[in-house]
Amino acid sequence: MSAPVAEETTELDPQKSRPKGNAAQISGKSPLRIAFGRLMRDKVAVVCMVVVVLFVLLAIFEGLLQKAFGVTAETQFPTQFLNLNGVPKAEFGPPYGTFVWSHPFGIAPTTAVDNLAYWLEGARNSLEIATLSTIVATVLGIVVGLLAGFMGGIVDRVLSFFTDFFLTLPFLLVALTIAPIVNERFRDGDHYEAAQVVLLVMVLSFFGWMGLARLIRGEVLSLREREFVHAARVMGMPTRRILVKELLPNIVAPIVVSTSLMLPAFVAAESGLAYLGVGIRTRPSWGQMLDDATGFFKEYPLYLYEPLLAIVVLVLALNLLGDAVRDALDPKTRR
Amino acid sequence: MRRTKPLALVAGVAALATLAACGGGSGDPTSPSDSGSFQETDAGSDKDANATAPAADVEGATSGGTITVYLPGDYGPDDLDPTNGWSVTGNSIQQALTSRSLTQYSVDSDGNATLVPDLATDLGQHNDDFTEWTFTLRDGITWENGDPITAKEVAFGIARSMDSKAFPSGAGTEYSKTYFANPDYEGPYTDKKTSWEDWGGVDYDNDAKTVTIHMSKSFPDMDYWGAFMAMGPAPLGNRSNPTTYGQNILSNGPYKVESFTPQDELVLVKNDQWDPSTDTARHQYADKWIFKFNADPDQTDEIMLSDNTQSQTSLSTDLQASNYQTALNDLGDRLVQQSTQCTSFLYPDYASTDINFRKALAYAYPYEDVWTAGGQVPGVTRTMANSIMPPGMAGKPDYYVDGEAFSYDPEKAKELLADSDVDSVSMIYYEPDPLAVKAQNVITKGFEAAGLTVKATPVQESPYSTWTNTSDKLNKSLNVRGVAWCSDWPSALTFIPPLFRSGAVYNTGGFSEASIDAEMKKIPTMDLDKQADAWGALDEKIETEYFPAIPTAYYNQLFTFGSKIGNPSGDEALGAPNYKNLFVMN
Repeated sequence: MSAPVAEETTELDPQKSRPKGNAAQISGKSPLRIAFGRLMRDKVAVVCMVVVVLFVLLAIFEGLLQKAFGVTAETQFPTQFLNLNGVPKAEFGPPYGTFVWSHPFGIAPTTAVDNLAYWLEGARNSLEIATLSTIVATVLGIVVGLLAGFMGGIVDRVLSFFTDFFLTLPFLLVALTIAPIVNERFRDGDHYEAAQVVLLVMVLSFFGWMGLARLIRGEVLSLREREFVHAARVMGMPTRRILVKELLPNIVAPIVVSTSLMLPAFVAAESGLAYLGVGIRTRPSWGQMLDDATGFFKEYPLYLYEPLLAIVVLVLALNLLGDAVRDALDPKTRR
Repeated sequence: MRRTKPLALVAGVAALATLAACGGGSGDPTSPSDSGSFQETDAGSDKDANATAPAADVEGATSGGTITVYLPGDYGPDDLDPTNGWSVTGNSIQQALTSRSLTQYSVDSDGNATLVPDLATDLGQHNDDFTEWTFTLRDGITWENGDPITAKEVAFGIARSMDSKAFPSGAGTEYSKTYFANPDYEGPYTDKKTSWEDWGGVDYDNDAKTVTIHMSKSFPDMDYWGAFMAMGPAPLGNRSNPTTYGQNILSNGPYKVESFTPQDELVLVKNDQWDPSTDTARHQYADKWIFKFNADPDQTDEIMLSDNTQSQTSLSTDLQASNYQTALNDLGDRLVQQSTQCTSFLYPDYASTDINFRKALAYAYPYEDVWTAGGQVPGVTRTMANSIMPPGMAGKPDYYVDGEAFSYDPEKAKELLADSDVDSVSMIYYEPDPLAVKAQNVITKGFEAAGLTVKATPVQESPYSTWTNTSDKLNKSLNVRGVAWCSDWPSALTFIPPLFRSGAVYNTGGFSEASIDAEMKKIPTMDLDKQADAWGALDEKIETEYFPAIPTAYYNQLFTFGSKIGNPSGDEALGAPNYKNLFVMN
């Protein structure tokens, strides 16, 4: 009856029970790699990732795709393509006609611009603005959160005040107020189009960083009292190095999670603002397409569904992916 | 006259829509496109001084019922003070239903309007040079409280129209102040030192029931101006204090105000003191009127097209282009297309451009496509314009500046531009309106196809605030502006001088020719029957010799009527539904 005793000892000392030769493989896995492994086993996550990648590819290669389909988002002289009520004639596709190859998505009512070309450019603008805003908001959130959490004292109080202050500002109201003012300021310049994009990115990101900043501040508050941070301080490491080398790697998980959830929020917000007429006006966007389509819903529902489905699918995929990332990174999630 | 909101004449919704669709028709105006054709009317240029009261009954008219009027995208008047009203919406409702004046328009079943007497017994007696007009009031005219309307109250109402401080958006600022004697008089509320009876512009005789108006210069159109509700009575004393009267008017028409919420709702009920035997044109068929201002355009169209119990007794003053075909099929006669006596123009800067450039613009402007992109129905709500004066105006000339109608022809524009020193266009557009942006894109494309360099600057406020601001830096940099104008009555006196007189506010292109100015001064002093043709000749002379402004479109409005509204028709004098003659069918 010696076997059970041997088993007990192996439980007490796991090192001894490990088969020889496999040690290197196990110790080489970082937490992020483990999480990535879990993510790849999540079927929903994989599907969402494919969808997102597809949208990104569409956005990146929209110019080539337009050429491949022979369509363009340029302004047209619309009358020749439209019925009196502004809806496309049957020979140019839906709603009265059937699918035509020259306009796979049909043409827009009122303007007769090709829907596919417009939709593709809308996809690019939407992702471009959402990505830029996410980057700016994430950087802002990380910097403010790290500084507030680590420095404490007056710095913390000032930064926290600003965080709370921005949280109290009503996002829509500010966006609706600022847009005309900025548009008026830059209307004479040659960079009006760029100014509108920058403005939108700023509005979106300035109202998107607070959650992340608070989250990071909380994490840092608990981390900075840990031994390895104390050790780094005692050794005389400069603050910048402590922040970047010691603290940042420990809060990668919450950053990734909140970033992955920020992206779909910005895609939706961009469309929402464009729908309200304060987003970008000089470039195509899904939100403007939605705005145009509501008046034609009865006659031409497809025109509304095109941008709507795009937004719903993209936002849903990004959200589910974000959730999956959070689950994968969270060691406490039950699997 | 503006179409909607006060403050600036045409700076209302229609004006923005103008920008949205600085439209014009393409091709030959004599061959209207598709099923929609342009309704030409003669917009009340007829007069009948001997019209009798009571007004003849509308065929088949029945009494009773409630009529609901939806006014999509139209905020309506801010107050109901007759002196302060100068919008198509407010004036058309009040002049037809609540507030009487010296004269009025009688609209027959075809929508033809005739100028007939209202409170006065005739269209006014004038002296030879139109500087003194006398109106005799009818017997039996009363306020809603039963008090008789006296000559003194009418005279007081006229004196009120001189007060441009108390009534800054009233039409009196344009006509009373320009034509009535002693124009320096500030009105009864601003000039507290002079009694209004000592003003010298108006005399009255309560016993003889006469009101005499003295002019500072010849004013042959006083009878038309008399059809504005501002030329009607106002209660004496505190009752008509401008700060409160607008929310609580004393009416004298067939209906009185039950409740009024600005920008939302106006409810009118029968005024039992109104005597049909004193009125030559109004009727009192419906029991109640409900006006819903600023209604949602999509919802309104849905209601009107659904033909449910409520919409059967409703009408709407607008129809979205996207529903035009459906309405045409479903509503038939109940879709009424009404000319509104408005013309929109591209107005290039007169000093910095030449006639070749301006003609080139006329060929480079893609009329019909601008309309379509701007959400209009080509050939229906916008039609090609060939003259300054809109159709239906007395004396409207028929001519083509270049021998034939302008149409989009970039090659011809290029030829003309070769003889011009100007090769770029600098203009503005109203960015908050998506349709204005689309229309501008089409304009830009058209101009660029003709070889022009286009700089289109977006503005966030009404373009008129830039165009009419002479010290604005952006405005100075523009070489193409615009204007859309509607007449106040069917005389070019209300059309050509406000747009082409040197220094006029809405002369946005800065057109200035001494000979034209002199002629505009001369025409009102000519024989009455020669004036209309003289204005027509002046219209042609301005356009053919100088071509300062490019007429881009005439405006039409679409009204939809419920299936139980009797006599669905428009009022050509005001470009509004024919409120005077509508009834609910039993």
